[in-house]
Amino acid sequence: MNWTNILNFSRGPLLHVAMIIFVAGLSYRLVRVLLLGWARDRAKNKGSKLWGVIVNYLKGLFVLPFIPWVRRTFRHNELTFIAGGLFHLSLFLVLVFGTAHILVWKSLWGFGWKGLPTPILAFFSAVGIISMIVLLINRLTHPVLKMLTKFPVWINWLVVFLPMITGFIMARHLWFRYEVIFSLHLISVSLLLIWIPFGRISHFLFYFFSKTIHGAQAGKRAVTP
Amino acid sequence: MKSQKTQSAINTYLKETGGWVASQLEACTRCGICAEACHFYQALGNPEYAPIWKLEPLRRAYEQRFTVAGKLKLALGLEKRLADSDLEHWSKIVYEACTVCNKCAHVCPMGIQLGPLIHEVRAGMAAAGVVPADLAEATEKQKTIGSPLGVTDEMWRERIDWITDEWEAQIPVDKAGAESLVVFTSIELMKFPDNLAAIAKILNRAGENWTVSSTGREVVNFGYFEADEELTRLFMYRVFKAAEELGVKRIIISECGHAYDAFRWAAPNMMKVPKGVDIAHISEYIHHLWKTGRIKLKEGAFDGETITFHDSCKIQRRGGIIKQPRELLRVLAPKSFKEMTPNKEQSLCCGGGGGVISIKEADANRYAVFEMKIEQLQEVQAKAVCMVCSNCRLQFVDSVGHFNLPVKVHGLAELVSRALL
Repeated sequence: MNWTNILNFSRGPLLHVAMIIFVAGLSYRLVRVLLLGWARDRAKNKGSKLWGVIVNYLKGLFVLPFIPWVRRTFRHNELTFIAGGLFHLSLFLVLVFGTAHILVWKSLWGFGWKGLPTPILAFFSAVGIISMIVLLINRLTHPVLKMLTKFPVWINWLVVFLPMITGFIMARHLWFRYEVIFSLHLISVSLLLIWIPFGRISHFLFYFFSKTIHGAQAGKRAVTP
Repeated sequence: MKSQKTQSAINTYLKETGGWVASQLEACTRCGICAEACHFYQALGNPEYAPIWKLEPLRRAYEQRFTVAGKLKLALGLEKRLADSDLEHWSKIVYEACTVCNKCAHVCPMGIQLGPLIHEVRAGMAAAGVVPADLAEATEKQKTIGSPLGVTDEMWRERIDWITDEWEAQIPVDKAGAESLVVFTSIELMKFPDNLAAIAKILNRAGENWTVSSTGREVVNFGYFEADEELTRLFMYRVFKAAEELGVKRIIISECGHAYDAFRWAAPNMMKVPKGVDIAHISEYIHHLWKTGRIKLKEGAFDGETITFHDSCKIQRRGGIIKQPRELLRVLAPKSFKEMTPNKEQSLCCGGGGGVISIKEADANRYAVFEMKIEQLQEVQAKAVCMVCSNCRLQFVDSVGHFNLPVKVHGLAELVSRALL
């Protein structure tokens, strides 16, 4: 078996199986949670739930991530906020505006868009990788994080880090032959996709539950979320 | 080892776990930011006081029963089933180092409602009977005697008569046809009778048709502190029954945060509540009386020494009564009223709520938290502090004494009554 075969396998059957597990697993998780039942809230509203939800999303997605230092909890959590924020930003930019990734989106959805210039992508890929390393060190040293971090959380870190580092090396054409590094990138992406339904990386899905609940709870009580 | 009591805790967790609980437990990223919002963690630095860690018993019960990951972790030996020792361990954490103030929910990047979820953790503890002895004792007193402080029917009547005489404030008892039923706490009755007299004076001056009830006479809910659902209902039922019998239009909750939370937000979701009976907190009702011109206040009555306002978790952050007390204070002390920071939704808890002050073993915790409150008070050079929760007030009075601080502690009703024109 040579690297061309491995590449064909990893961009073909492996990736497809991984995507199926990803979609099926997350759907299962979602349905499982939804089926646990939702009690109706009978307490009379003081304010508007909708208003609370809107404010909460605006604050959470477009305001606070860009000015984390205004939060009082920023103190003692500086690394979590800054590295965490930069990680998410880099991930978003590289996944959505990376030229190679746009081709993937195009093959999935039939349309693409303009990517970011390579130097900017290179910069953010590096920022994402450095942020991940900072977050790892933070997790190893912060007393609360040390206590909260169990075995699966380390796997989360690893399966996110591997596609990032292999992607970076591939895009910069460093050290490895194209088939080798592309295979490694695809294998690590598959690993990530397979793992997501089992761990807490799935927070991107449940974020919309907790964020909506908090906004609605605050709005209902007429307080700012 | 898992005994019958751990099983009852687990059963409670599984029963309470609807999509609401599950989706939020799933949303956590283990970022640990909530720790820095918890006054107990801030004051004492114990990582176990991180709010998310307080949910561990609930999370484990949920994951092990409902999720593939939880079952895998069990099978691989990465995690154990809940045992008696776990309940005892977390009982101390959730009852003695948490006031269920819910500040953590406001800082969580995911917006997880940590306070209400910690309440669920307490519910399991209550079902298993793993509750701090002092708290259990007070709850038992409320169940059998009718008041967590052990105030009997007779003592209650004597005390009401004494307040009526001492402050010359008429307090109608069991008045059929009254519009408002005011329900006080034993804390006010025994420790802050001036507050009770003040409320009576304000309502009388406004010409309110009100009454107190000899059967629905306790608004504090120790069942709610414990999170024992059955007792929570029983204690509220006594008040609702009295309200129905008297035919009132509204129940006015006196200066008690947890009681307001229970009656206003929890009751409709856990029991039958009388139709057409509104729930109001005394501070919003006083504000309403002033706004509608039924009482007039002497402007600047308390100008002079700096006075500040302490936000109570259940009345302000979770109750939404944020601007009303401030508007009143701006009338009473337009020049001397100063805000502490942080305030309103982001306020720092007093450290005594959620039943914590009734647990002797938690004294060191709540004093440590109060030291942060002292810093806040000193930043604005407050000589007086005002609040609308007698549980906070008890914590303030006790701690101001403990630390020997030159700060006066007031209830808002008391200030309003002294400024009545």
